[in-house]
Parts: sequence; C-alpha cells; structure tokens
Amino acid sequence: MKKLQIASLAILVVAVVSFCLLEAGTLSSLQSGLLAILSPITRSGGAVKKSISGIGKDLMTLEQLQKEYDRILAENRRLRAENSGLRDLQTDNDHLRQVLGYLERSAFRLIPAAVLAHDAGTWWSMIKINRGSKDGIAVDMPVITDRGLVGKTTAVSSEVSEVVLISDENCKVAAKVEGTKEQGISGGARDTAGELHLTFLSKLADLQPGQKVYTAGVSGGIFPSGLALGTVKSFHARELDGEAILEPSADLGDLEEVYVVTGAK
Amino acid sequence: MRHTLLFVILILLLPVSVAMQDLLPVIPVAQARIQILPVLFCFAMLALPLLPALFFALATALVQGLVLLQIQAGQSELGLTLPIVFFIAWAIVLQMSSEATHGMRWELHAFGSALVTLTLLGGEFLVLCIKRGGFPLDMSVGLRIIVPALVAPFIAPALYFMLRALVPLSPDAGPVAAQPSFKR
Repeated sequence: MKKLQIASLAILVVAVVSFCLLEAGTLSSLQSGLLAILSPITRSGGAVKKSISGIGKDLMTLEQLQKEYDRILAENRRLRAENSGLRDLQTDNDHLRQVLGYLERSAFRLIPAAVLAHDAGTWWSMIKINRGSKDGIAVDMPVITDRGLVGKTTAVSSEVSEVVLISDENCKVAAKVEGTKEQGISGGARDTAGELHLTFLSKLADLQPGQKVYTAGVSGGIFPSGLALGTVKSFHARELDGEAILEPSADLGDLEEVYVVTGAK
Repeated sequence: MRHTLLFVILILLLPVSVAMQDLLPVIPVAQARIQILPVLFCFAMLALPLLPALFFALATALVQGLVLLQIQAGQSELGLTLPIVFFIAWAIVLQMSSEATHGMRWELHAFGSALVTLTLLGGEFLVLCIKRGGFPLDMSVGLRIIVPALVAPFIAPALYFMLRALVPLSPDAGPVAAQPSFKR
C-alpha cells in the first residue's frame, strides 16, 4: 500500500511538472479538447436555458394574442407594399455596387450561430457559440451581428467555438472615427464591464458624443474595415494621447444570434 | 471504495460545474458572475483523502487554466502553472483544516468556498495587473471579487448535502482505510 502511495505521488509530481512546461500550441489543442468535452453539456444546457427563458415571453392572454395578430397582419400588408417598391431600388443598388466595386470590398461570407453561454470568468469577456470546425469555423475569424462587430473566435472544437468579445481587455481592434481622420486602438478594461476604450487618439481630437466609430481594417489584421464598432460617449485628453469611451454598437450583454465572417464573397 | 466512487463522481461533476456557471445569469451587482467550480473544489478537498485530493486539485487547475486560456502573440497569458500552484496550495490547507476539525463539516465547506472564491478572483485580478500593467482597483472591481465570494456560502450547503446523500462519508459510516495524512 505504501509503495502504491509513493508511486501515485511520483505520478502526480511528474504530471504537475509536465503541465507547467507545456507550450502555447499544446495548451491551445488541450483547450479545444476541453471545449469538445464541454460541448454536449453546454449545448443541451443552452437549449434548456432558452426554453425556460422563453416560457414567460410566450404566455399571452387571448385578447393579447388577438391584438398581436392584428398588428402582425397590418405590418405584413405594409411590408408587402414596401417590398414591391424596393425591388426596383434593389436592382439599381446592385448595379451601382458592382460599378463601384463596393460589393467585393464589403460583402462577407457569413455563418449564422446561436450563443450558447457567456463565460463565467470575471476578468474575461467570452461567449460560446454552437458552430465549430465542422461548419468551417477557424481561430481568429471576426464575429458580428447586424448592428456591428462582436469579437473574434479564439478556440474552436468540432461543434462549439469560443469567442472573445471586443469588451475584453485582450481584444484590440484598430478603429477610425466617423467624419474625422482620427484612428486609434479599441479594447475593454478590467474596471469597466461592457464599455470600450479607444486610445492613441490625438490629444486635440474634437470628438463629440454620438459620433460613430468603425473598424479601420489594417493590413494583415483580422477585422475588415467598415464594421460598426461603437458610438463615442465621452472624450478626454491624457498625458500623451486622447482617449474616448465608446458604447458598443452590438448589445454584448444580450447576444443571442451572431454571424461568423469566414471570408469575402 | 466510497472514496473512489466519490472521486469519480466529483471528476464527472467538474466539467458540469464549468458549463453550469457559464449558463447562470449575471448577478446585477457590478456584473459579477456566480462561481460553482471553487465550491465543488472545496467539497472535494474536505471529503477526499490527501492523494486523491491532490489529483483532483490538479484536474481543477487544468480545467480552470484551460477555460481562461488566451494566447497572445504565440504566448499563453496565464498558462497552467499559476492555477496548479493555487489549487494545490488550497488543497493542502483544506486537508489540514479537515483533519483539525476531525472530518468535514458543512460550515467549514461554506466558509472554505467563500475563501477559495475570494482568493481565486482576487489572485486572477492581481496576476492580470502584473501581466498587463495598471492597478484599476475601485468599487466596481471590488464588488466583482467580493459578491461571488459572498454568494458561494449559499450555494455550498446545497452541493454539500446533495453529495453527502449520494456518497455517505460520515465518521460512523464505517472504518476508512489508512491514508496518507498530515498527522504524525
């Protein structure tokens, strides 16, 4: 028995030393492995959470249902009328886009994904989505919503991927401010949850609350240019540069569906 | 035999606890998150004998380290060394506490869970401050460390009594085989 305990202790010591010496590449593979182990639990848990949170939302009285039906019917009629008018505009728009070469620059191949969970790490902002390598997702792909940039993929298993949000301190995005020549680096901060800090701006930058901020799309970077990042809330000059506080365009605290940008069309 | 069964159950619960804490909603106070992993870890340290406890501490450190892993410019920011040192150090402290109180008690588990959560979040914050620079300690940061630690003792008894019901480990449940101990 004593020999068995000594052998166990030796195994433990060897295991501890081996894990402490692992390289970043091996750790990344191990992380993908853990994500694969967690994937069935996270997926089923996410589905249960969605159905539970949907119970309250879906309960309506007959009167409310009738009102909702009438409202949707009226909206449907209005949208159909609008749609027939927009078809001609769409044709013109497509033609003009082709002429300007805009389509090639700004249209992306997107993979829709549902958000399964928000990571419980206190100092990191990450989410898990229900798409993985078998759907064509790889590490360092931008993730967006219809309202703007959300983050990028950091770890990918076959069925689940982890996305670091733009509100994380480690997710740096080159950004430019609408209507100015100001460019800076945006990222999150440890002491504020949800806000973005746009730094390395000129100290004399005349930024006003409400100005839009877009990705700058530096060469060799991950994020393409022109994606909405946020809106300026405030600006202050620091000792060496200017810093703007941004409200993210996408609601990062309430993400349900996102799109992974796998490339240009 | 009971300890082997408990060890297997706890190892299986490790990924479940990580997935569960990710699915729980944010506490409105300072956007703090509920931590279940430290509560499970604390139970394991008090209930298991020394050697299995050390193996479980290593497994917890691997899971926690990999969950928080971020690769920056080809380098991992935290790595696994710090979580391993943290959890093995707490394993030894909790094992000694368990021996000092002649077996595990639910109060000790609740108190230990709060302390492990507090030091885990505080330690992460300090390490990030050293690695990334700056020390932005304000009310918001303080609440994000303290609130999960205050919530932990309320989760702990539920887990304690559920696991004790699954695997009876009370002193009168029968003699336990000789195990390595801190006692001389």
